[in-house]
Order: sequence, then structure tokens, then C-alpha cells
Amino acid sequence: MSLVARNALIALALTIVLTATVVYAVAYLNNARMAELATIEDQISIDTLSLETQFSLLASAPCDSAASSTVLSGELADLGTRLAYAENQLGSDNPQVMRLKYRYSLLEIRDYLLTKQFASACRTKPTAVLYFYSNSGDCPDCDNAGYALSYLRDTYPTLRVYSFDYHLNLGALKTLIAVNKVKDTLPAFIIDGKVSYGFSSLADLEKRFPKGALATSTSLSGR
Amino acid sequence: MGVEVIAYPFLFIAVYFEAFVLVTLLSKPARAARARASGAETPTVAVIVPCYNEEETVAGTCDSLLALDYPKDKLEIILVDDGSTDGTRETMARFAGNSQMRIIRKENGGKHTAVNAGIAATSAEFVGCLDADSFVESGALREIIPCFAEPRVAAVTAAMSVHKPSNLLLHMQNAEYIFGITLRHALATVDGLYVTPGPFSFYRRSVLEELGGFRKGHNTEDMEMALRIQRAGYGIENAVRARVYTKAPHTIGKLVKQRTRWTTGFIRNVLGEYRDLIGSRRHHALGMLILPLAVTAIVSGITLFFLAIGTSVRNALTALEIREGIPLSYVLTPHPSFDLFYFPASLFLFLAALTVLLSFAFIVIGKYVSKTPGRLGLGLVSYLFLYGLIVPLWLVRSVSDVVLGIHRSWR
Repeated sequence: MSLVARNALIALALTIVLTATVVYAVAYLNNARMAELATIEDQISIDTLSLETQFSLLASAPCDSAASSTVLSGELADLGTRLAYAENQLGSDNPQVMRLKYRYSLLEIRDYLLTKQFASACRTKPTAVLYFYSNSGDCPDCDNAGYALSYLRDTYPTLRVYSFDYHLNLGALKTLIAVNKVKDTLPAFIIDGKVSYGFSSLADLEKRFPKGALATSTSLSGR
Repeated sequence: MGVEVIAYPFLFIAVYFEAFVLVTLLSKPARAARARASGAETPTVAVIVPCYNEEETVAGTCDSLLALDYPKDKLEIILVDDGSTDGTRETMARFAGNSQMRIIRKENGGKHTAVNAGIAATSAEFVGCLDADSFVESGALREIIPCFAEPRVAAVTAAMSVHKPSNLLLHMQNAEYIFGITLRHALATVDGLYVTPGPFSFYRRSVLEELGGFRKGHNTEDMEMALRIQRAGYGIENAVRARVYTKAPHTIGKLVKQRTRWTTGFIRNVLGEYRDLIGSRRHHALGMLILPLAVTAIVSGITLFFLAIGTSVRNALTALEIREGIPLSYVLTPHPSFDLFYFPASLFLFLAALTVLLSFAFIVIGKYVSKTPGRLGLGLVSYLFLYGLIVPLWLVRSVSDVVLGIHRSWR
């Protein structure tokens, strides 16, 4: 075998090994990312359960644990951001992403229900948005709506935003959609118990909130 | 996975080429070439300096040639004034009294005619060329002559770097030239060189006579001659420690003009008169690997450029659309996250990083094996951040020139 042919073959083998190493490294990092998400989800799951238990135990004075619920919502929002990033990187058809998304949606629903329970028991009026989106290409305004909600959440930290993939095949989510009679005209929002559809501008979205709901929240608009 | 998938084959080919260079560098012939001692033999040599309006640099070029460590009676320096219109003639006249120097004046006819006039005026066994904006180190010629030991070696190239780089663009080119030292050193051992650069390439005179001297070669006479030598079955060697420093374009406009000339010359020569070399089994590495990869590099450079432009514009438009109506105070506030979770680990990024890392390794290797002086820090930084932005400019311009049949002047 000539020197050139020998070098060319060794180089090919080396290239394949290097490329395989890169593929492995990317897969390893993505798996680590998924594992991190799963750990966060587990922690939130435990925290939610703990809060629910606390709520039951302190039936006479449930409002004592209200602060924990707020912290939990913040963690949930962070998890949502991470999950959205992972979905964007790995694709909506990634089974691991989908599994985590199911769990995340369940946690969101549980947190939403818990928030409602606290609100009822403690006579508070937390502002919450249930936001239904789609990544299946049937919601051209969802990216805009998602960014506007991120802005609102960052500007008004007490605002609770629960995002749901409308097409997610999850029983609890289907029930939530059915109970609230949310149609598949996306994006859809449930604000203060009222369902609304479409997104045209931030100003239009803000108008759907009860009067003073955003203004009475802790505003960070001056930052 | 998006449009970046188009880039994967090109990145794979880039890694493959670099792996080939790496393997070749480590092979026995390359090690033997590095171990080759500078020679004691001193055959007759002539160095031709073709000049056209080089009044600022030609004196320095001559001084460096006169300082070469070589017997004076064996080294002839032929200055060819190719009809300069500036003070080149007067500058040359200062060397008229030197016994090693010969000065030829002729009507302007292009670099190839100036070199041919020099060749016709000498009977030296080996003939070298040195552009009048380049300077040699004193030991360079003694590194080159031993490379002609094999009779089939028709030409020998030197190790070029940039003369006193003083701005980022020059540092970038210096890094690129030193990268070129490694490539030339490796590819010479598998007969893969297709250019004998103007700065201090040498030729066996008998072969030049056999092949018929220099041609215009689409304004790349050094490439045309190298391709002709390869086609004739001769070898082109490289003297990796024969250091020569050349003045490089110091503005982007001039650099793009120079590289457009080189690239259009490559396309017109290789895809034109020397098309038969591509895929030629008789020419081993050059035909089967180097030339096809060089053509692919042009295609890949342009494809990746338009891919990057398209992706950036699309992302920018999407980002603008999404942010429409949101207060600027929020939009313009960066929301950085230094969490490793958000590190964009992708096949594209890692393969691109691998090619860059290997390029850096070759630059360091080039400096080490050629013993080129100076620091590399600025060169590596500017190479990393500037090179990829500038290369597409001359690639696109070159291809459009060839497609549209545009022929530009040398300067």
C-alpha cells in the first residue's frame, strides 16, 4: 500500500473516531442536561407534596405555609425555562423531553390547584395565567405570546404563569382543558377564570387582566 | 437539527483533511524531511527578483539576498525591472556595482515575462525567485539546496511568514502563513503541492527549460508552473526551515484583491487547463485528494457563508418580531445565564471547534518546525475572530468573477 493510501485510510479512521467522540460527548452532555431536569422535577415534586401535606396538617392555619408556595412557583418557572430550552435543542419528539414535559405539566396543575386552595383559605387574590400553546406549527403567535408572558412574569414577580402544550396527551391536562372549555384556537389564555384567544400585542394582553391586578403586584418596571 | 445539517459534510471533510495532514506530519518521510541537515554542497544558483514599482522594498530584498550564507561566486542575483514607473530603477542602480548583481530592464510585460528574462540571462543550475517585497534569512538557501538531492525534484518551496506584522489583519495573515508552513511541509512529502510561491521558490533550471518557462497562468504564474511540474511527473519539495518574510496586504480591501487573484487563478487553472489532474490516479495525493479537497473548500466556504448569513438574518427577524411591542427597557436588558445547563452543546459547534483547534495546532507546529521567530498570541486571536469573516469575501468575489468572466488587473 502506498504512503498516500495508508495515510488517507488512517486519517479516515481518525476522523470517524473523532466524530464519534464528538457525537458521544454531545449525547453525554444532553443526557446530563436531562438528568439535571429530572432531579429538579423530583425536588419540586417532593416540595409540592410536602406543601400539600403541610396544607392538610395546618388545616386550622393554612396560610402559614403560603410563602413556600410562592418559592415553589419560582422554581417551577425556572424549570419551565430549562425544559423549553431542552425541547428546543433536542426536539419535541425526544422521548425524554416528552416524559419530563408530562411531569412538568402535572406539577404545574398541582401548583395551580394548590395556589387556588391557598387563595380560598387565606382570602388572597393571586394573579395567575393559564397559557395554552402549541409547538406543532398551528400557532404562529405563540412565540410572541410566550415572550410577552416572560416579560410580564419578570416585571410582576407575583404573577403566576402556567404554560401548557395544548396537544400534550396527558389525562390531567385534557381534563383541565375540558373543564375550562378551552378550544384549539391558540394561543389561549385563562385569566381570572375567563378564557380568551389569540395574541396581537402586549397592551392587548394586559387589558385581559382584572383591573389593577398587574398594577398592585410588586413592579420591577423601574429596573 | 435545522439547516446546519447542510454544514456537517463540509465539517467532516475539513476534519478529515486536517487528520490527513496530521497523519502525514507524523509519517516517516515528514520526519526525515525535518531531520534533513542544511547542505554543504554549493551548486551555482541564480535568484531572480522581478520588480514592478517596488521602490520601497526592493533595496531591503536585495540586502537580504546579499547577506545569504552562500559562496559569492556561486550566487547570482538578477534584478529585473519590468518597466517600473516609480523610483525602482534608481533604487536598483545603487546595487549596480556589486559583482553578484545583474540588472535587467525591460518593457512592462507582467511578472512571468520578468522571470523568464531572468532565466534567459543565467546559466545557473538552480533558479530561484524572490518577490521584491520579501526578505530571506541568511541560512535559507542552504536549507533549500539539499532538497534537490533527488533528480526528480524540480522545485523547492520555502517557509513563508509575514514581515513585521503591525496590525490585526497582518497578524491574522501571519498565523495563516504559518499554518501554510505546516501544510506545505506535510503535503510536500506526498507530492501534494500545487503552488510554488513567489517568495523564494527554487527550480531546477533544466526542468524549466524542458517545460518552457513561466506563463501568465491567469495572474498566478507560480501556481501554473507548479501544476505543470506536477503534470510532467516531477516532484515539488519543501524546505521547512528556509525562512522568508513577505510584506502582506495591510487593509481588507487589498487583501481581498490579492486573494481574489489567487483564488480565480486557482479555479481557472485547476478547473481549466489542468482539469485532468483532478481525480488522476497517476498523481496520487494531488489528484485524488488535495485538488478535489481544495475545490471542495471553495464550495464549502461559500455554502457555509450563505448558510450563516441566512440563519443570522432569519434569527434576527424572528427575534425582532417576537419583541415587537415589548418595552425597550426590557428588550435591551441582557438576560445572561452562566448556567452550564444552557451551554449549546451541538454536533455543529463541537465539530467546528475541533477544526479550529486542529488549525491552531498546525499553526503552533508550523512555528515550531520552521523555527519562525515572534509571538503567536495576536495571530491566533485575529485568526479565530477575523479569518472566517473575511475569507467568504474573496471566495464569493472569485467565483462570481469566474462565472461572469471578469478579469481583474494584478494590482
